[in-house]
Amino acid sequence: MDNIINIGIPSKGRLRKDVLKIFKKKKLTLISERGERDLIGSIKNKKNIKILYLHAREIIERLGDNSLDVGFSGFDLYKESEINNQKKINVVKKYNFGKANLVVAIPDPWIDVQTIADLEEIAFEFRDKKKKRLRVATKYPNLTREFLFSKGVTQFRLVDSLGATEAYPFTGSAELITDITSSGETLKANNLRVLKDGEILKSQACIFSSKKNIKKKGIKNLINLLSK
Amino acid sequence: MKLKNLSEKILRSVKSKGFKYIELPSVIETNHIVQRSGENFRKFIFSFIDQNGNELCLRPDLTIVSCLRYLENNFKGKEKIFYSGQAYRKSNNKKDSIIRDQIGFEIIGSKNEKIDDKEIINTSLNSLKNIKYSSGKLTLGNVEIFNLLISKLDIPKRWKLRLYRHFWREDYFNDLLKRLETNSDVDPTIVEIDKKRYLKMLKDDKSSIIAGRSIEEILTRFDNKIKDPRRTSKGKNVSKIIKEFLKIKCPINKAAQELNKFFKKYQINLAVDQKYFPISNNRVSKLNVIFSTAFGRQLEYYTGMVFKIDIKSNNKIKNVINGGRYDQLISDLGSTTQISAVGAALNLNY
Repeated sequence: MDNIINIGIPSKGRLRKDVLKIFKKKKLTLISERGERDLIGSIKNKKNIKILYLHAREIIERLGDNSLDVGFSGFDLYKESEINNQKKINVVKKYNFGKANLVVAIPDPWIDVQTIADLEEIAFEFRDKKKKRLRVATKYPNLTREFLFSKGVTQFRLVDSLGATEAYPFTGSAELITDITSSGETLKANNLRVLKDGEILKSQACIFSSKKNIKKKGIKNLINLLSK
Repeated sequence: MKLKNLSEKILRSVKSKGFKYIELPSVIETNHIVQRSGENFRKFIFSFIDQNGNELCLRPDLTIVSCLRYLENNFKGKEKIFYSGQAYRKSNNKKDSIIRDQIGFEIIGSKNEKIDDKEIINTSLNSLKNIKYSSGKLTLGNVEIFNLLISKLDIPKRWKLRLYRHFWREDYFNDLLKRLETNSDVDPTIVEIDKKRYLKMLKDDKSSIIAGRSIEEILTRFDNKIKDPRRTSKGKNVSKIIKEFLKIKCPINKAAQELNKFFKKYQINLAVDQKYFPISNNRVSKLNVIFSTAFGRQLEYYTGMVFKIDIKSNNKIKNVINGGRYDQLISDLGSTTQISAVGAALNLNY
C-alpha cells in the first residue's frame, strides 16, 4: 500500500483539461473504469499509481496531510492555504497555463477611488461616519486580509463567498470584492473595476508534491517526467 | 510555585496603593476585538462559535476586558482597579507561549490625567521591587506630541488624517512618507478621463446609493481630491520634518529642551514644558529614564503617555512592564461619552 503513488488532478474545468494534456503529451494513458465521471483512476501499465480527481482547493489540503503525493492546482490556492499547510508542500513547477490574478475590485461608479490609498480613506469614513465596517467579499480571506492590511486598510470585515462574488457589491452583501480574474471581462461586465495598485497575487497552474512523501519509490522520476 | 509567589507579592504591592481587585471573564465576544483592532487581529485570537452561533474568543488581552466591564456595568466616575490572570494569543514566533500570565492595574474615568499617569508609573516601579534585576531602562513616549506636530504642518487635511491613523504602523507609515515626498497619489491622465464621468454623474440622482455610498458622497470626495493643492517640494519638506522629529531620543530631563529646540528650528508654533512629562529624573529604581518620540508605535490604542520597562537580569534584557493612556478605547467599544483610562500590564513570563 505504501508504494502506491497518489496523484491529485482537478476534477473539473479548464484546469482539468490542461492538466490532462500534460499526461497525454508524456504518453501516459489515464484510465477511468467507470467513465469520465469516475473520481478515481489509474495510468495504463503503471500499477503503482492512483489518480484522484478532486476539487483544486482540496488537492492543496490533501497534499498537506500527505494523502496525496503529487498534485496539480493553482498557485493562488496554495498561497491561500494555512501557513502550516504550505510548509508541508513543495512547489515543483509553475506551468504556462491557468494564468490569472487575484485583484481588488470596486464598483466602477466609485470614480473617486483609484488606488488602495483611496480605499484606506473610505474604510475609515465608513467606520467614523457610518459606524460600519467596509465589507469585502472574497473566496480568498487569508490573502485578502494580509494584502489589505499591508496597504493600510485595517478597517474592514470579510464576507466569505463561495461563488458569484462579482454580484456582492450590488446585492447589499458587501461593498467591494477580491477575486481571481484572467481577462477582467467578468469584472467589467458586472460593473466592477480593478484598483490601479490592486493586484494581490499573480497565479498560474502548478505541480506540487508532498514534502514528507518525496522519498516514496518512483516518485522523483514521476515528478521529473511531469514537470519537464 | 515561583510564579505564584511572585504574583502574590506583586498583587499585594499593587493593593497597598489603593487599587481594588476585580475578576474578569476569560471569554468575550470576538466582535469587540475585531472592531477595535481590525480584521487582521483575528489571526492572533483563539475563537469559536457557541450554541447560538455567536463568535466568542479567549481573551487575548486583559485591558480590553476590563474596559468592557466598566462599560457594560454602566460604571461612572473614577475607579482604581487591578486584576491578574492569563491572556491567550497566537504568535508567529513558535518559541512564544500562547499563554501569557499578566497582572494589570488601571485608573478609569478620572479627570486628573497627569496625576494618574504618574501614579501608574509609580505603581509599576513599586511592583518592580519584587523582581531581581541589576539595571534597566524606562522608555517614555507620547503620541499626543506627534499628533500636535502633524496638526501644525502645511499639508492637506486628508494627509494629516492618514499620518495620525498610521503612526503606530511603522512600515506602512514609512510608505506614506515616501508617497508624500513624491506626490504619487494623483495621476493626471486618469483624473482627466474620470472628469468626463464626473460631469456625467453630476446629472444623476445624487441620493442614489452605489454599494453603500451615495452619488453625492462620491462626487464630493472626487471634487475634494482633484482640488487638493499640493506641491512636491512641500511634501518633501514635511516628510523631512517628521523623520527628524521621530529621531528625537534623549534622557528624560532633556526632553522639553530637545523638543523646543526642534520646534524652533522648523518654526513650528509649539512649546512643551518639562512638567508635561510624568518623570524628570534620569534615574529611578536602577533604571535609566529615556524619552523617545518614536516610542509608542505598534501599540495601536494608546492616545497619550506611553511607557515600557525593560530590565537586565541574568545578562539578558527582558521586557516586563508596558503601559500608557488609552482615552479612546472605551468609546471605541461603544461608550457614547469619552472616558479617560490609563494603565499598565506586568508580564510574569519574562
